[in-house]
Amino acid sequence: MMRAALNVLVILALAGGAYFVSWPAVMADAGSPEVELNAENLGPRPIEELTEKSITRDYGHAWQTMAAALRENRSDLLDGYFTGIAKAILAEEIAEQKRSGVRVRYTDQGHKLEAIFYSPSGDAMQLRDRARLEVEIVDGDKVVHREDVTLNYLVLMTPGADRWLVRDLQTTAAEVRP
Amino acid sequence: MRLFLASVLIPLALMICAAAAELRAPAQVTAGKSFSLASTGNGKGMLYLTGPGQASKRSVMLGDEIQIRGDEVEHAGRYTAVICDSGNCAATHFFVRAAEPAKVSLLVHPSRVRVGQPNAISGVAFVFDKFRNLVLSPTQVDFKAIPKQGAAVAQTRATQNGVTWIRLTSATKEGPAKIGASLGKVSELRVVQQVASEACNLRIKPDWNGGKFFAETEPVRDCSGNAVSDGTVVSFTKVDASGKTTVDVPIKRGVARVQMPLKGNAKILVASGVVTGNELSVEGRQ
Repeated sequence: MMRAALNVLVILALAGGAYFVSWPAVMADAGSPEVELNAENLGPRPIEELTEKSITRDYGHAWQTMAAALRENRSDLLDGYFTGIAKAILAEEIAEQKRSGVRVRYTDQGHKLEAIFYSPSGDAMQLRDRARLEVEIVDGDKVVHREDVTLNYLVLMTPGADRWLVRDLQTTAAEVRP
Repeated sequence: MRLFLASVLIPLALMICAAAAELRAPAQVTAGKSFSLASTGNGKGMLYLTGPGQASKRSVMLGDEIQIRGDEVEHAGRYTAVICDSGNCAATHFFVRAAEPAKVSLLVHPSRVRVGQPNAISGVAFVFDKFRNLVLSPTQVDFKAIPKQGAAVAQTRATQNGVTWIRLTSATKEGPAKIGASLGKVSELRVVQQVASEACNLRIKPDWNGGKFFAETEPVRDCSGNAVSDGTVVSFTKVDASGKTTVDVPIKRGVARVQMPLKGNAKILVASGVVTGNELSVEGRQ
């Protein structure tokens, strides 16, 4: 009886472990960075309440999986929240990291998003992000550079089957205003 | 005195050594263009270059100009170059901006639209350089709508943050319309199928054939004279002594036709969507 109960516990623990190991490839967990979205000046299409929630959630998940992908050199983690050129560039960066042994580590300290363009048919949204980050450049185990920085990003997101995906993620020298 | 000199000079010497290697980069670089980083110091050092799609390291000679190849900076964004010399590292940052506009990407929606719908078609154009970087400097994009019949409509719009858009009213005549966006010699084209709108002046007529009664529409057209698409449902309703019966029939080859058994007098009504047609009064046998 005791042995059977132990077996059940072991199976449950293994199943739980497998679930958590495979989790990041599918969706991000509750450790997403803080994301604030301002859509007051958005046009030409107004944002829907559900879209606003999705953008905030999915952009946070995108950053979380990007940081994990770069830290662990795992381009498969990008599948969940990246597509198009953003995914291609990050995959290229991970391939470079594997080749050189140099890694970039992000510690995310939050994002202030401002939605600036939402296409009339609702199939693309452009946003500005003011991201607070701690960035480390690591060669093997040695940290060769570390900085706390606020960076401006221009982001293009497009809807996927059940979430918004980051299609373009570009740092800009300064805030790009029309 | 000796202690004082040691306490001042040794840290000073260490500071000088620590600051031996420095790195300077141009404030802004164009994607795909090679350039050089200015370094100070002497001897060998290690250069790290990170940025979009980039995470490399290589040995360099300090004090020389360090060449960065164009293919190392093809993606727009912020790069960090770090130079390390005997455990001391110095960093500099630079931004790579997109090269000349070279590609336009066009999203057009919907792919099928009814004729005469105001602002029903939207086109969004994104401008990229040859490395697929979004070109953020304002760029003129020429939009053109070319209907199957009639004159083309053209408008020029400037991009903001690499994007511009347009709204168009669908033509009054059905058929494909080509929506294009061009940027110099580069252009992208999409096709929107414009289909007839709601039926207009829906009319039915009786047709006795072999002792059986058929109700048949005249060719179903919209108010601009376009044939309403086959498959559009037309509802025939018969009201007689036994009550009310409705039959939905798709349009085939421009008309909808249905056989209706009659006993005594009946009224036949027709409708398609929100449009109603004429009413027929028929007798059971002819």
